Amino acid sequence: MSSPLLLSAIWVVPLLAAFATLFLKRDDHLAVKLVHAVCHGGNLLLAISLLVSFLAETEGALPASGTVTQLHFAMDRIWIPALNIHYNVGVDGLSMLMILLTAMIIFAGVFASWGIRDRAREFFILLDLLVAGVYGTFMSFDLFALFLFYEVAVLPMYLLIGVWGTGRKEYSAMKLTLMLVAGSALLMGGILALYFGSHLQTFDLNVLSQYPFPRSFQRLFFPILFFGFGVLSAIFPFHTWSPDGHASAPTAVSMLHAGVLMKLGGYGILRVAMYVLPEGATEWFPWLILPIAVNVAYGPFVALRQRDLKYITAYSSVSHLGLVLLGLAVCTFTGIKGSAMQMISHGLLTGLFFALIGMIYGRTHTRNVDEMGGLMKRMPFLGVSFVLAGFAGLGLPGLSGFVAESTIFLGAFENPSAVVRGCTVVAILSIVTTAVYILRAANRMLHGPLPERFGTLTDAVWNERLAVIVLLIGLFGMGLFPGWIADALDGSVAPLFNNLVRAVVP
Amino acid sequence: MTLPSILPDVALLALAALLLLAGLAGNEKSERLAFPAAIGGTALLFLLSLLVQPSPEKFLGCWSVTPAGLHFRQLFLFATLLVEAFARSYFRRGGDGKGPLERGSEFLATLHLVLLGAFAVVSVDNLLALFVGLELATIPLYCLVAWRAGDRRGGEAAVKYVVMGAGASCFDLFSFSYLYGLAGSLDFGAVATRVASIQDGSGSSGLLRVAVAALFAGVGFKLTIFPFQMWAPDVYEGAPTPVTLLLSVVSKSAAVAFLLVLMHGPLAPALAKTQELVLLLSALTMTVGNLGAIHQRHLRRFMAYSSVAQAGFILAALVGPADRATGAALFYLFVYAATNTLAFAVFAVAGEERGETFECLRGLSRRSPALAGILAVCMFSLAGIPPVAGFVGKFFLFSSAASAGHYLFVVFAALNGTLSLYYYLHVLREAYIVPEEEGKENGALRVDPLQKVLLGCLLLAVVLLGLLPQLSDFLSR
Repeated sequence: MSSPLLLSAIWVVPLLAAFATLFLKRDDHLAVKLVHAVCHGGNLLLAISLLVSFLAETEGALPASGTVTQLHFAMDRIWIPALNIHYNVGVDGLSMLMILLTAMIIFAGVFASWGIRDRAREFFILLDLLVAGVYGTFMSFDLFALFLFYEVAVLPMYLLIGVWGTGRKEYSAMKLTLMLVAGSALLMGGILALYFGSHLQTFDLNVLSQYPFPRSFQRLFFPILFFGFGVLSAIFPFHTWSPDGHASAPTAVSMLHAGVLMKLGGYGILRVAMYVLPEGATEWFPWLILPIAVNVAYGPFVALRQRDLKYITAYSSVSHLGLVLLGLAVCTFTGIKGSAMQMISHGLLTGLFFALIGMIYGRTHTRNVDEMGGLMKRMPFLGVSFVLAGFAGLGLPGLSGFVAESTIFLGAFENPSAVVRGCTVVAILSIVTTAVYILRAANRMLHGPLPERFGTLTDAVWNERLAVIVLLIGLFGMGLFPGWIADALDGSVAPLFNNLVRAVVP
Repeated sequence: MTLPSILPDVALLALAALLLLAGLAGNEKSERLAFPAAIGGTALLFLLSLLVQPSPEKFLGCWSVTPAGLHFRQLFLFATLLVEAFARSYFRRGGDGKGPLERGSEFLATLHLVLLGAFAVVSVDNLLALFVGLELATIPLYCLVAWRAGDRRGGEAAVKYVVMGAGASCFDLFSFSYLYGLAGSLDFGAVATRVASIQDGSGSSGLLRVAVAALFAGVGFKLTIFPFQMWAPDVYEGAPTPVTLLLSVVSKSAAVAFLLVLMHGPLAPALAKTQELVLLLSALTMTVGNLGAIHQRHLRRFMAYSSVAQAGFILAALVGPADRATGAALFYLFVYAATNTLAFAVFAVAGEERGETFECLRGLSRRSPALAGILAVCMFSLAGIPPVAGFVGKFFLFSSAASAGHYLFVVFAALNGTLSLYYYLHVLREAYIVPEEEGKENGALRVDPLQKVLLGCLLLAVVLLGLLPQLSDFLSR
């Protein structure tokens, strides 16, 4: 089978799994989980093989000097003739890595959800829909298709959180869904404006990006697209859905949502807003960097006050996603590359965090750090993994966080503007706060006296170990060998950056 | 051999007459055969409408089958077919906690008269004939709303509907009289010429403004445009469920067709000036509908407000150029007919004994995962969320508005769509999240074979049209 078809297979396979699940018996949990383990495992292998052939194809290629993204495994078929909508998919380095990240997280997510028994069929079908949407978004280069997949990824959230969640689940589910869909509403207007405003009657991103939109148009629609996508990346002040949503969601959903879905926001800003409206981007970013800096600096301080592990992780996500946006907002090559790396790194580490929290909660039935203690004695595997995830989160060298964050900060200082540098200094300082809350939480949980009621707890079982190990491999792989990831990203960031530069220096 | 283009219209008249005669016969056999005959007949008419070609030939001096008119015929027939299939189980078993209805053949005959009126709206090129068509599509509905003899709520609803409807007709007539006064002719062509010359600055535009305003007041009633949407919740709740469905799919489609015929026909030269009015009405209508729906507990009342909001969305598309607006409205109305019927069918099954309130949906995801899944598809389609048909439909509507340059209006409308998602999700909340009250778990749900076929076909349609909207292209060949 040819590679373009294999690429499309990546989003089709989860839907096939969902379809197959419809025919399974209502109470046959095990069959449902096996089907999904096989499907998503196969998908992970597929993603890895595609990455390998992608790396082989791009091996030794010169850094791109053009302004158009080069697609690999591309396929372009007319889809809806009425509006000249194409099914136009392909990958560059960034999308390829994001697809691999998604495959890893969902694979780990299936094993982390092994305990789901209530309406398991529906749970996994919705999960499949969600992940198919994420895959589709990362490979679409037609705006309509991208938007459609993007919305598909947002939609199952309500039921996933509302039915299988914990705590104030209905409130959180509704808040999350409405805020994200409101963001999509901005996107709907923005996308149609691009389509009709360009008079090209096309949704093709590569074509639209080369069209010189008038400055007034860019000035108006860049913030619309930025905030439309930004909501999903928890841009301040539209971040409030994130802590509630993540805290209430079931484990696999938190993993996917914080690990991958939130990246769709940053990805969309980079791929659509900055790519198609570069002048708008350079004009607005000096201002938009302020709410972004709030994201970075404010997240850790709120996390400091939290007692619920999931809230701590959620606020740390707000801050880490702020770093992604910061890397984009500084408009330098290194900065953009760093934020792409941060998307991947944060996906892995937050996925791991939420997986571990879910497993620990499944044993202790509390997520409050003050009620825990000494867990390292009973569950060394989970404890050590938690500490490793924490180290990655606070940017310890050797793990993925360091690579990504240092690249972003380097990139930020390449921008000579005083505002940008000021914001960067604030951002760097916030890492100290991050270290405080992560280390403190890990210390409270894992060390000290073990409460008596936790005396019978057991360590991770096979499915949990598998989920954790997959993600740990990613964290170390990226931390120890960042070179190939950086190389793979170079080719995809270059056209986006060149397009941006062309806007500043016509 | 080409079939005469007027064949479906004549056949429809024959079918209506036949059903009326069957009703007059009044014996059991004719009652039993009425539904199969009507459903089969309508299906045949639908196929016929797919076979005939539009032609510019004029019948009776004012009746012709235009390409757009033919597509609207297909839409009306499709929607009527759904209503009839839905009505069959209601006439047999009753629903909404009430007993079965009677006089099926008369009911069907009356229903086909509504359809004939809708046909007239899209066929004629004369103001007076257009008015007659609209009335023919409305007056039989007054009877249908009160079809359940002795039902007080039905009677009350019918009275409300008659009073509001009569007022609306006055507005329409008033508007047409002004247009006649301006143009000196009832013919669409003559009116268009006169409107164009007024736009060019000859003659006062004040009278034209009054005529357009009165026109929107009149059609606003049928299309539930703010501030003429007030009757909808009471009538939707009071009428028997099949009639509510008829109101929300056929009658609404006829009203949209009526507006399209006028806006892109005789009033086309003034389109640029009417745009603002249309957008304002659209914005108000969707907002009022969405806000109204939030606190409803009765499902049909809820659907009434939802349909008000949907009318607002459809209205937004009408500002685009003629072909885009017609295409978008037609596609959306098709999807809307399918989705609404699907939702009503689920409500009917779930609320057959307990009455169609939000409470009847509780625990649906455990009692019948399939029905709950279908309900989820419906609600997402109504809210315009992919990958189901409502999303593409709404995208087409908004793209029609955007093609006229109203990008920020699209943002506003889409944000309104978010508001609507809030209450559509509340329906799913009942089905999936709220636990069932104790002691009510065991109520088995009865789905008869015809309902199963209906549910299956419509579900397939809603999903497939969402992924491949060009499947409906066989209609726009």
